[in-house]
Amino acid sequence: MLKRPSSRRRSAPSEVAINLVPMLDALVTLIGFLLFSMSFLALVTIETPIPQISEADVQKKITEKPLQLTVTLRDKETEIWSPFQRIKSQTIPHNSEGLPDTAAIHAAMIEIKREFTAENKVVFVPAASTSYDILVAVMDSLRVLEPTDPAIFKTNEQTGIDEPLKALFTEVVFGNLLGEG
Amino acid sequence: MGAYRSIRTRRMRRKPREVELQLTSMLDVLVIILVFLLKSYSTSTNNFTTLPGLKLPLSASQDIPPDSLHLIITPEGMTFENNRIVEFEMNAASLDEAETGGYTLRRADLAEDGRQIKPLYNALMEAKDKAELLRAKSKARDAEGNPLPFDGILAIQADKRVNYDTIRKIMYTGATAGFKTFRLLALKRDG
Repeated sequence: MLKRPSSRRRSAPSEVAINLVPMLDALVTLIGFLLFSMSFLALVTIETPIPQISEADVQKKITEKPLQLTVTLRDKETEIWSPFQRIKSQTIPHNSEGLPDTAAIHAAMIEIKREFTAENKVVFVPAASTSYDILVAVMDSLRVLEPTDPAIFKTNEQTGIDEPLKALFTEVVFGNLLGEG
Repeated sequence: MGAYRSIRTRRMRRKPREVELQLTSMLDVLVIILVFLLKSYSTSTNNFTTLPGLKLPLSASQDIPPDSLHLIITPEGMTFENNRIVEFEMNAASLDEAETGGYTLRRADLAEDGRQIKPLYNALMEAKDKAELLRAKSKARDAEGNPLPFDGILAIQADKRVNYDTIRKIMYTGATAGFKTFRLLALKRDG
């Protein structure tokens, strides 16, 4: 059907524009607030409690010899041992730079964790001259299970299902806070 | 030429032009920035400050430190809650080790056979008393109606050159002041 020229003009599609200005205002304010309040320093923490004797632990020790896994840092080597001989003592020499071989320590800890999956505690005895970055690096090798590490499974007592562990020995306690070293 | 233009063309020209700013693309950019900021915001829920020149070690730990009392140790001294409490002594022997962060604690600052750092002990006790007073005034109570106990957590932010002997003295001092847990802070290692 033919239409008059005037009505044809009227039928042009009308453009609906959303007013974006208030939304833009809100976003700019929010971004400003976030930039002002956030810290760009990605800090992480390694928690270490002070050694404490609990009555429950004492009772447990009477019935069973504890593992008391101990890692001792010396000038030229690292020793992984148990005062109750639950594991065979291992001595890992420092690398060519004279620093603890964290990769070898980590590998040794994985093997021990495979045997003692329920154990979470490790006693760390560094030398007095050990620098803070070496402390952190060794503590990482004792605690963290990397995604590239072989999986370690532990049977869930409630469900009976073998579940992969997410960490090695999470509780690192310093063993020589009082003594010389 | 103008004389031959049609009436329709002239009418269209007379209409006032509306200049609209194209905001959609700008909004897209802002939304992306907002998402990025919100994602990184979740990893920065603490208010730990740092000092210029402080070199923190890297760690593979994934634990984000919650807010707590914090102590910063640089090769020059200790800062507790933004107050410098200890200045290390730079003697001839330590100057030789300047590259490795050589320094010593002043003899006058030490107690208990050199195990305890006196100014730090005083600062920790003061902070503990203040925290206990705030908890006593607070309405938050435990199951028995007593004020919540002091959590006794100290975050330690040490320069990577600081040695274990100093860290050990700090932990011993903290333990004698009633602090039970120490959080060693480090920078998050990527990957």
